[in-house]
Amino acid sequence: MMDYVDLVFLIMGISALSSVLFTFLTVKTKDLMYAVVFSSVQSVAYALIYFLLLAPDIVLVYVAVSVGIYPLIIILLIKKVGRYEVVT
Amino acid sequence: MLRDLVFASLLIIIILALTYLTYSGGLGDLPPRDVRVIASNYLNLTYNQGITWLWAASPEAVTAIVWDYRGLDTLFETVVFYGAILAALTLFRSVSKVPEFVSSAGLSLVVKRVTAIVTLAILAVAASTALHGHLTPGGGFQGGAIASVAPLLLLVVFGKQFFIERRISYSKLLTIRNASLALLGFTSVALLILGFLTGFQAYIFQNQAKIVSTLSYPPYLLDVPLGGSLFFFNLFEFLAVASGFTLVFTILLSRDETLRKELEGEELGY
Repeated sequence: MMDYVDLVFLIMGISALSSVLFTFLTVKTKDLMYAVVFSSVQSVAYALIYFLLLAPDIVLVYVAVSVGIYPLIIILLIKKVGRYEVVT
Repeated sequence: MLRDLVFASLLIIIILALTYLTYSGGLGDLPPRDVRVIASNYLNLTYNQGITWLWAASPEAVTAIVWDYRGLDTLFETVVFYGAILAALTLFRSVSKVPEFVSSAGLSLVVKRVTAIVTLAILAVAASTALHGHLTPGGGFQGGAIASVAPLLLLVVFGKQFFIERRISYSKLLTIRNASLALLGFTSVALLILGFLTGFQAYIFQNQAKIVSTLSYPPYLLDVPLGGSLFFFNLFEFLAVASGFTLVFTILLSRDETLRKELEGEELGY
């Protein structure tokens, strides 16, 4: 029998695992724009975990920084260094 | 290919190890059955109207801890954060003085309209997060970080020209930031100064009246809890964070040549 707490922990586990998947994709992809998007999705998974752990204060700043400010700064950087990672 | 396999299996091993540790009780009882002593102390005191010499007059325990019970820690965190922003501004100090002659038309009309609506929503959410920081989750830093997304979007979508036409200049933002930081500092010592002038005893970072010191910030505004100094700390931190981030974004979004010129000669050591 699955109660409320188990459900919360199950969702936390799923988002934790998907965050690992998106971290893997972020490291592996050669297109840096995709890497930024994957990294943001990973941050959303973390934000969900924080929310389920009853830390709404952290969620508020984490969402703004990790989905708003951080990707835009990285995109500015990508604009200067080029979009594709060159393998030598 | 081999590298990928090693990388993937390393990730899996780390996850399995962490799962095993958690499952076998490495983090204690999950979910915890009771509230820890230190947490229950703060929860019992922060809005306890029966023990007003230990309360923070704020129903939001996190904000009460951040700006009242552990206010000095937060002050030093703030110093570190503004030190970092100050370093960035100093490094590119002449960039702000270079006028930008590139008039960018910005993105298309559809994007501009959507951004205009979204910007209003972002600013409303940010203001409510910061100004209700002593009642609901959130606070000055959270509100400021949310609010700083709005000028960032405006800079990208409407172009820098938009800011120049509306006279939102570098020096004005710097003035807002400095004034907010000064007021933040003043809020922490205001009761001390008042106590010095009136002959009462008071402490740095004092919020509500204590047993030996009767000076106090107002706990209520009309019938709404104000949290005393917490409201002012949140307000000034909100203004300082939003303007500080906006300053850094204006520098980062300057032209490439201007930024590169600033760093010329670094490889020679001067």
